[in-house]
This record gives sequence, structure tokens and C-alpha cells, in this order.
Amino acid sequence: MNKSVKMIINLTVLGALAGIILAFVFKMADPLIQINKEKELKAAIFTVLPEAKDYRTLTKELKDEEVTVYVGLNEKGEPIGVSFKADGNGFQGNVGIMVGLGLDYLKLKGIEVLDQVETPGLGDRIREQGFKSQFKGVEVHPKIEYIKFRKPEKPNQIQAITGATISSNAVVVNINTAVKKVTELFTERELRDAASLPGGKE
Amino acid sequence: MADSVEKAQLPEEETQSLSYELVKGLWQDIAPFRLVLGLCPALAVTNSLLNGLSMGLATLFVLVASCTAVSIVRKLIAPQVRIAAYVVIIATIVTVTDLFLQAMTPGISKALGPYVPLIITNCIILGRLEAFSQKNPVLPSIMDSLGTGIGFTFGLVAMGFVREILGFGSIFGFTILGDWFTPWIVMILPAGAFLLMGGLIALVNYISHKQSSQGEEA
Amino acid sequence: MDKEKTKKADTDGSTEAKPTAEVKTSAKKAPAKTGAKIPVKKAPAKSAAEGDVKNAPAKTGGKAPVKKAPAKKAPAEADESASKLVISSSPHFQTTENIPRIMYTVVTALIPAMAVSVYLFGLRVLMLMAVCVVVCLVSEYAMQKARKKSVRVHDGSAAITGILLALMLPPGFPIYGAVLGSLFSIVIGKMLFGGLGYNIFNPALIGRAFLQATYPVLITTWVDPGAVINAVDAISAATPLAMMKFGGEATGLGALFFGNTAGSLGETSAIAILIGGLYLRYKGYINWKLPLGYLGSIAFFAAIFWIYDSSTYASPFFHVMAGGAMLGAWFMVTDMVTTPVTPCGQWIFAIGAGFLTIIIRLFGGLPEGVMYSILFMNAFVPLINRHTKPKVFGELKAKKT
Repeated sequence: MNKSVKMIINLTVLGALAGIILAFVFKMADPLIQINKEKELKAAIFTVLPEAKDYRTLTKELKDEEVTVYVGLNEKGEPIGVSFKADGNGFQGNVGIMVGLGLDYLKLKGIEVLDQVETPGLGDRIREQGFKSQFKGVEVHPKIEYIKFRKPEKPNQIQAITGATISSNAVVVNINTAVKKVTELFTERELRDAASLPGGKE
Repeated sequence: MADSVEKAQLPEEETQSLSYELVKGLWQDIAPFRLVLGLCPALAVTNSLLNGLSMGLATLFVLVASCTAVSIVRKLIAPQVRIAAYVVIIATIVTVTDLFLQAMTPGISKALGPYVPLIITNCIILGRLEAFSQKNPVLPSIMDSLGTGIGFTFGLVAMGFVREILGFGSIFGFTILGDWFTPWIVMILPAGAFLLMGGLIALVNYISHKQSSQGEEA
Repeated sequence: MDKEKTKKADTDGSTEAKPTAEVKTSAKKAPAKTGAKIPVKKAPAKSAAEGDVKNAPAKTGGKAPVKKAPAKKAPAEADESASKLVISSSPHFQTTENIPRIMYTVVTALIPAMAVSVYLFGLRVLMLMAVCVVVCLVSEYAMQKARKKSVRVHDGSAAITGILLALMLPPGFPIYGAVLGSLFSIVIGKMLFGGLGYNIFNPALIGRAFLQATYPVLITTWVDPGAVINAVDAISAATPLAMMKFGGEATGLGALFFGNTAGSLGETSAIAILIGGLYLRYKGYINWKLPLGYLGSIAFFAAIFWIYDSSTYASPFFHVMAGGAMLGAWFMVTDMVTTPVTPCGQWIFAIGAGFLTIIIRLFGGLPEGVMYSILFMNAFVPLINRHTKPKVFGELKAKKT
């Protein structure tokens, strides 16, 4: 057999086989993977909007990126708040936060740190309950601020973690940026209307 | 292991070499410390015992599966395109592993991050394929890859064990060292991985040096 | 592996001590064998190696500047060489200097800084210092025994490492942390490289860097001077640099000068360190280029930013006196082992470290940059030495044919 013909057959057969196997495995695995992602998202939304029992998804285009918000619904199906992801740079990498905001765009309902690679024992204390719970009820206007070494005095202030100012700052900045984006993009009306949308896949 | 050897019904000399193929990867050529191969995962994902163990097992699976596959088709593949063919085989198996982990154990998959897909570039695998599986029948190939893979897993587990107990004071997430112990944060950081890797390489070299010098005296 | 290396080093070492005729050959061999780690401290180092300047690695060539060089003893073979005849060309210096004398003078120079830290932060710091020194001495002794080298703990270099490490720790730092840092300094930072004269990095700074990574919270927990030091309920305070970086508040220069601020044990008081440093300078143990170049470049680069925007960036005086800059300038940048030996190289080293300090302080994640800047420059010392070799008198550039 000609050498090059053998080479072509070799690779073609291998490629085809690999394709078949991968397609088969993907078909099996993909639903499970989607369920896992869904679970994770749901858990995050329900943490930042404690009263929520269900949620609806709203998406809008802003320039090149898609902005997705999740409107939380209570057991009666009434909208009680909106949650969205806030990503941005921290000390060592991305700090991804799930933010829960009241529908009136005035106060935060809670935050949850989803992704972070901050210094263990220092920056990663942004995951601690004591730090996160400070954001509950914080006013977002004009913007959230952090202060150091003292107790917060104004309703839009939180106390930074001692020795981890950069990570604390990253959390605050990411939230502020995302809140600004969402409040400019979605009207309260739109969010309330989202409650009547059909539910997401269960 | 003795079972599989008996079942294979191989002649005497091959039987010896089979067990040798298995054992050599466990200590004599242990991947992270003696061959100093596969350092990327050994440094990057060993910050806890569970991560080290699951990364080791994932690599072990990919290694054994691809060595077996290559050994089966070794006579069919044109030598000119063998590396391309190996990469296709490895990539397929790695992707299957990655999808499996994502579907069944999302937590581990998230902790290992991009390092599961990166098994493709692990030089241990291509190294064993090129150096062993493409020249040897299936059974020795399995033995060889099993030995290397277990050795590699053992290396990652050793790293993960030390780093987790010093860095978090825990084993598999259960706190072992009490409140009196202040965790050495450095052990969870990349710097600690390098320090420990250096220390373990020195230790393994020291022990095998001793062994060989004793062997000479005897 | 270890054993072999040790043997090699030893054989090389003993050849070094032989008369100059043989020194030449050994100097040629040295770089190939052990990668320039042999500190050849022949009496007038320059003249002895003159013929070989090209071949000898820079570090070997002039490890010990003439003035400081122990006249007849090189540290690696202090015991053996004492009885041997050293032949070398002129000039000859007669001096009673030796390593212990230098080291204990440095200890003396550190006394003001130690005293001020005890005065400011209480008696607990005495224990911290004692622990560091004792652990350093014991671990050096143990390592020298374990590696079957001659025991030279009494030369005092380990004691200095211990004191410097202690002076860089916060007052409330736990004892076990100090033990760990001291162990790391000596065992990893010094003895694994081969002991005094072989270490690439300043051992005390290595220990401090390790502690910074190991206990990031404890090592940044400061207290105000005078506060009762009780590791459990000390009120945490911010260092002047941290307040500057994260709060934009500049501390008064008076407080910085006398040390009435939160900070590491021996870093707060500029005046105490200055006294020690000037004493060392008076004794002739440190080269004025290094501290001057370091502080000067800190001041220079700080001034650039200060002039550009004095409301955001602190004044050069602040940067020179705050944090570890003073301690670093007088006691770490001037370390004989880990800094360049050529005058030009010393300028490069000092100015580079000062520049990095300012860059880290102003733009880095950490408020303080002295430690990392010096460690970073330490890594370049062999390179700097190699490229700043002084020309031998009468040397011509080889023409390319």
C-alpha cells in the first residue's frame, strides 16, 4: 500500500472513531452537566435572595456582551428582587460575585462569592460570612464604599478586611460596576414583568 | 497483579519482565520525583489531598487507556503520522474523562479547573507511548502504564498530603491538627509547591542513593 | 549527591589555600567545578588573582574587598589555612580583622535598634529576639554537624541573622513563628547553599519572606508602641506605609524618625538604625556606596512621583524613613556575602533595589517593598559581578581577528 494513502486512512479512521466516541459521550454527559450548572446557579441565587423560591431569566445585549439577570420570585410568584453576576479583577485573578438587589434598586439583599483565587487566609476571607453579611441592606447609591479600621458610619459603607484591602476593594468595585450596568440597562417595570414569563426548565 | 500474569499464560521470562514493568514506575522511575516529568499538575493541583488523588487517578486512567489503545493499533499506524495519531487518541480519552468528571463530580471538576484538559500535554503520557507502548504488546504496555500511573498518583498524593496537612491542618477536609496549629499558608501557594517538590526530590534521591551504596557494599 | 559535593568543595578549598602559583590553576578550575561558589578570600584578593581575572568568576575574584578581608583566614578553610604559608604579591595588609570580629561589631551596631524596640514594645520583644538568635545558632550548629563540616557557629553570622530576622517581625509575632522563620533562614537560606559565604540570598530576608507567605495575617498584625503586648487581644494598628497606601494618611516625620509608630521591632526608629549604621561606617565595615545608593535612589524615585503629584504620593523623606528602608539600607544591602564586590556593581545593586522598593511601595499589592527588592537584586549579584569586573591595569581589549 502506498505510504501516503496509509497515512491518510490512518488519520481519517482515527479521527472518525474519535468523533463518534466523543459525540456519544457528550450526548450522555451534557444533560448531567447542564443540571449541575443549573443547581449551582439556583443555589447562588437563592443565597443572595433569601426569600426567593423560583427565578426567571432576563437577557439583554449591551454592546458586545450579554447581560443576564435573574429575577427572584417568592412562593406566590411575586418578584422580590434581582440577582446577577459581578466579575472583575481581584488581587490575583477574577473575583466573581453573585449579587442580590432589591427591585427598587436601593439596597442589596445579599452577596455570595462564587469564584475567587485570592490569597488563602487573607484575601479569601471575603468568603467569610462576617464579611458577606455586611452587604445585606447596604445602600447602593451613590455607590458602596469601604472603610478601614472603623465601624461603618453611613448606610452605604462596609468595613474592609484588615490586611486584605485589595480583595475587599475588588468586591466593592465589582458590585458597584455590575449594579450600575444592571440599573441602567433594566427598568424596574421590565423586572416585574419578568415574573409572568414562563418558568425555566426544571 | 499475580492473577493477571497467570491468566496471560506467558512464558517464564516474559512473566518476570511484566512485574518488572509494573514495579519500575513505582519507585525506580517514579514520575514526578525521579523522572521529573509531569510537574505541571504535580505543582498546580496538589494543594489538597483530594485534588491530588483525583488528578492522579484521572491521569492514571488516561495513561492506561491510551497506552492500551496505542499498543493495540501500533502495527496499523504509519510511523510518519504516529505522533498525530497518539495525540488524537490521548485527546479523545482526556475529553471523555473531562466530561465524565463534569457530569458526575462537578465539585472535583471545578477544583481541578483547566488541569484535566491539560492532561493532554502531560509528557509522561506521550513519553510512555513513544518509549514503550508503540514497541510492546498490550499486556506489558498495560503493566508499564499502570506502574507509571500509580507512581505518579502516589507522587501527587504525597504532595497533596503534606500540603493539605500543613496548609489547612486537615486531611481530606477533616481537621486533624487542632486550633493550636496555625496553618502554613505558604504550602497552599505555588511557592510551597516548589519548596515541597524540591524537598521530596531531595528525599527520594537521598534514599535511593543510600540504597544503591548499600547495594554496592553488600 | 550531597556527600560528593561536599568533598569537591573541600578539595577545592584546600587548593585555594596553597601558594599563589597553584592558586592560579585552581581559580581556573573553580568555575567549572562548583559554579563559582567558593569564596576565595586570599589576603589581598585582587593581586593574587590578577593573572586570572579573566578566568576566575567575578564572585571568586574579589569576594572580599581588601579592607574587610580577614587577612589570613578564608571562612571556608579558616582552620586549615592558619598554619599554611600564604605567598602573594604586594600590597600586603597587616590586620587583626577576622569574621567573628566583624560579626560582633555588627551586633554591637544593632544594639541601639534593639534597645529602642524594647523601649517601645516592651520586654516581650527581648524574648522574640532571644528565640530567633538561639534557634539560628542551634540550627547552624546542627547543620554543620550533620554535613560533617567544621563547626563555626561562634563566628557570629548566625546570631546576626537571628537578630535581623527578629527586628523585621511585628511585636506580637508568636514564638513558634519566630522559631520556624529562624529555622528556614539558616537551614534553607544559608546552610543548604553551603554556609556562610556561599548563600545567594540574605538568610534573614529569606526567613522573613517565608514567614510572609506562611503567616500572612500574623505578620501584618501590628500594634502601636506602648500598647500592652498580648498576642490575644492586642489592638491592631496600621504601619505608616499601610496608612499611606490604603488611607492616604502620611505619618509625621518626627514620629518616623524616633520610631513612635506601629511597625516591625527594629524598623520603626530611623535614628537608632542610623546610629548603628554610622558606627559600622566609622569602623570601616560597610561601604558607603551601598546604603547611600539605596537610600538615595529611594529618595530620588520617590521625589519624581512626589513632584508629579504631591497629593497622592508621599515625600521622599517619608519613604526613606518609613518601613524597613533604613534597616535594609544599613544592615541588609551592606551584607558582604550577598552584594556585589565591584564599586560599579554596588551602585547598580543599590540603585536597582531602591527603584524596586519604590515601585513595589507605590504600585505593588503590598505596602512595603524593601524585603522583596533586596532579595530580587540578590539574585542578580553574580551577573552584576561578572559584568562590572574592573579592568586590570594595563589590560587591553582583545582584538577580534
